[in-house]
Amino acid sequence: MKNFKLLAVASALACATGLTSQVSADVGVADIVGDQASTGDIVSYGLGPRGQRYSPLSMINKENIKNLFPVWSFSFGGEKQRGQESQPLIKDGVMYVTGSYSRMWAIDIATGEELWQYDARLPEGILPCCDVVNRGAAILGDKVFFGTLDAKIVALDAKTGKVVWRKKIADFEAGYSYTAAPLIVPTEAHGPLILTGNSGGEFGVVGEVQARNPETGDLVWTRPVIEGHAGTLNGKETSITGGAANTSWPGDMWKNGGGAPWLGGTYDPDTKLAFFGTGNPAPWNSYLRPGDNKWTSSRVAINPENGEIEWGFQTTPHDGWDYDGVNEFVSFDMEKDGKMIKAGATADRNGFFYILDRTNGDFISATPFVKNITWAKGIDENGRPIWDPENRPGNPAESADGKKGKSIFAVPSFLGGKNWMPMAYSQDTNLFYIPSNEWGMDIWNEPVTYKKGAAYLGAGFTIKPIFDDYIGSLKAVDPTTGDIKWEYKNKAPLWGGVLTTGGGLVFTGTPEGFLKAFDEETGEELWKFQTGTGIVSSPITWEQDGEQYLTIVTGWGGAVPLWGGEVAKFVSYLNQGGSVWTFKIPEQLAGK
Amino acid sequence: MINRTIKRIIAAAALVIISQVSTAGASSLPQDPLNSVMWENLAGRFFPGEIVIDQRVRVSAPHDAEDQMQVPITIDATDLDNVVEIVAIADLNPIPHILTLHPTRAQAFIGFRVKLEQASPIRVGVKTSDGVWHVNGVIVNAAGGGCTAPALAHGLDNWYKTLGQTRAITRRETADAARLSLRMRHPMDTGLAPGIPVFYLNTIEVTSPNGDELAKIEMFEPVSENPTLTLKPLVNDNISELLVYARDTEANEFRFSLPVSDTIDN
Repeated sequence: MKNFKLLAVASALACATGLTSQVSADVGVADIVGDQASTGDIVSYGLGPRGQRYSPLSMINKENIKNLFPVWSFSFGGEKQRGQESQPLIKDGVMYVTGSYSRMWAIDIATGEELWQYDARLPEGILPCCDVVNRGAAILGDKVFFGTLDAKIVALDAKTGKVVWRKKIADFEAGYSYTAAPLIVPTEAHGPLILTGNSGGEFGVVGEVQARNPETGDLVWTRPVIEGHAGTLNGKETSITGGAANTSWPGDMWKNGGGAPWLGGTYDPDTKLAFFGTGNPAPWNSYLRPGDNKWTSSRVAINPENGEIEWGFQTTPHDGWDYDGVNEFVSFDMEKDGKMIKAGATADRNGFFYILDRTNGDFISATPFVKNITWAKGIDENGRPIWDPENRPGNPAESADGKKGKSIFAVPSFLGGKNWMPMAYSQDTNLFYIPSNEWGMDIWNEPVTYKKGAAYLGAGFTIKPIFDDYIGSLKAVDPTTGDIKWEYKNKAPLWGGVLTTGGGLVFTGTPEGFLKAFDEETGEELWKFQTGTGIVSSPITWEQDGEQYLTIVTGWGGAVPLWGGEVAKFVSYLNQGGSVWTFKIPEQLAGK
Repeated sequence: MINRTIKRIIAAAALVIISQVSTAGASSLPQDPLNSVMWENLAGRFFPGEIVIDQRVRVSAPHDAEDQMQVPITIDATDLDNVVEIVAIADLNPIPHILTLHPTRAQAFIGFRVKLEQASPIRVGVKTSDGVWHVNGVIVNAAGGGCTAPALAHGLDNWYKTLGQTRAITRRETADAARLSLRMRHPMDTGLAPGIPVFYLNTIEVTSPNGDELAKIEMFEPVSENPTLTLKPLVNDNISELLVYARDTEANEFRFSLPVSDTIDN
């Protein structure tokens, strides 16, 4: 009996010491800004706030990738699986990873053992449109932060997983939710701020970016992205977005105008701007809202000091195809015609790859990165689409019974030439690696009126593959020309993020369950590993104790199986899961 | 890596010392009047230091629980002086620790309800300012399943709208003590029912209007759904109001105040 008790005391103490020995230094905002260069940790979504998803590490490279093997696998457990879109964070030997249904874990990287788990107590009646995913956490000081499906943001003690504060971003009963990774940015006026967008694009919500004090969770500023709505700073009203209502919206339509910035944002330390993409306008039926409908389907650059929009660029004005403009805006410096340009790149749902001047939003170029685009004939010299009127769904008011407009076939489908899954930019090849999909859709419009908490679409649709043998397509794109340097074709649609490294490798996962590595120059597949369930998340790599580690979260789900249409035959056999796989080159094979 | 190893070694050294102390404590443990198989383990965990079995710790509970989800317990240690802490545990619950009361400026008294997974001793340790644990308890017979069954709230789809709703009553029981009874709506999920995350009220504080702490309760998973609590805060002539603050594991916070009459009403 005494021996038993001794053992119990020993294991309790071992747990405690495991924690104290590993969480040693708090994360500062300078660590986040400089995250890309510091390879020993990952303290931001995107491996640095610019979101390049490039690591200079080269210990794992083209020569030795064949020796990459799993170190451990960690199961999220429980009955709750569904899509796992999370990018983990790494700090002092601890991995912080979020999962479906608003859960989060801290894992001891040395052993793969759980340090703590937090499960948000979600209310009944949450309304996530496109699966119960979460894309990752933020870390600052002694806290980790993530958003929950009931549109709240939670701060947890990084050592214990206990809730420090929890704040409401928006009303989940009106259709709001939250799935993106929060963004932490430095400011002179307020110190570090934690920035969030909101989700709920199909429920007539109003997109808004919010900035909070990470210590307390108190709001510092808010910025609705839809014209006509006023922002706030320190609780007082500031400017009206777009100057005034009804500049690019008719009547009251701006009041439920959509534009949810549901994928969060990136931050550029050079220009000190935060870039958020905005979702589709509501409703989908564009005849109910003539005008450009600003700032839906756009990129907006926000000054974190006061929440003011410095510039906006609309990729799909007057959207009629659900081409959200949320996709990440990645800052990079581009040499073109002998000049260095402070550029930013974004691969839009609408199938075009845009390069903008990130200092002022000026349009530089747009080139197609998927095949057979039909909704527009091209992008003009000002960055506006040259619409093909034949390929906008017809006005239901012009139909015989007024109930259904003419159906058209549009490419890309509403799930986009590229969806949420983040691309990567290599500082070695100066290429972007874009996870894309080749598909179109039949789409038609219907009358609709706004009702709180109900889907606000006014459209019907079905997705169709363009090619018989593949949908997914990973492409290497030269931002100076738009040329596609190489392409990897995948049968199922790609839904996971990309990572590129100083080792000359490009990593991404497939719904078929493989984590794959490609040669950054040629696209040759150099390595793959079967994880047992579909991959729809973003890989990371870091250095610990002199070795390079690689991690991917696995678990099939996301929007594809929910909305798939004819795509179902490419994916219906895929099984769910929920785990973390961590890889390195075993000691016995190092140097071989 | 080297740093970590050193820290582990230091921690290991500390561990040996602690173990020796608790081993010595274990050898002088008084015999458990309730004859529980958990006594040696729980005594070391919850009552570190000198332990005496003390009938002045009065624990009232039904001999047989009618409803194992709501078993009423009353602890009265007012016969002891200088009480600093009262710890209540259910030996055979999967999570034994029910609550801890710090009666900063309150009588050593608390009433509450508990979920029982099976028949179990309800064991109470009362720590006095000299560091001694005065321990006593009773055995409650119960049917199984109290901790691993979902809360009744899960039959309702809007439980979160009534979260924290409270009914409460206070009266001045003696010249210098009030009796405060409250019931708060909360599912008090243990995390042991399949698919339902842990979610419970973990802090309740009673203060005077000028902010002095009168009593603080740390609560844990076994406290019954919609917690019912009775406390006896000390209220001198100047205190005409009690402030109550409650917080749960999801950082929901609840605050309310309760008037205390000037006249004695018992």
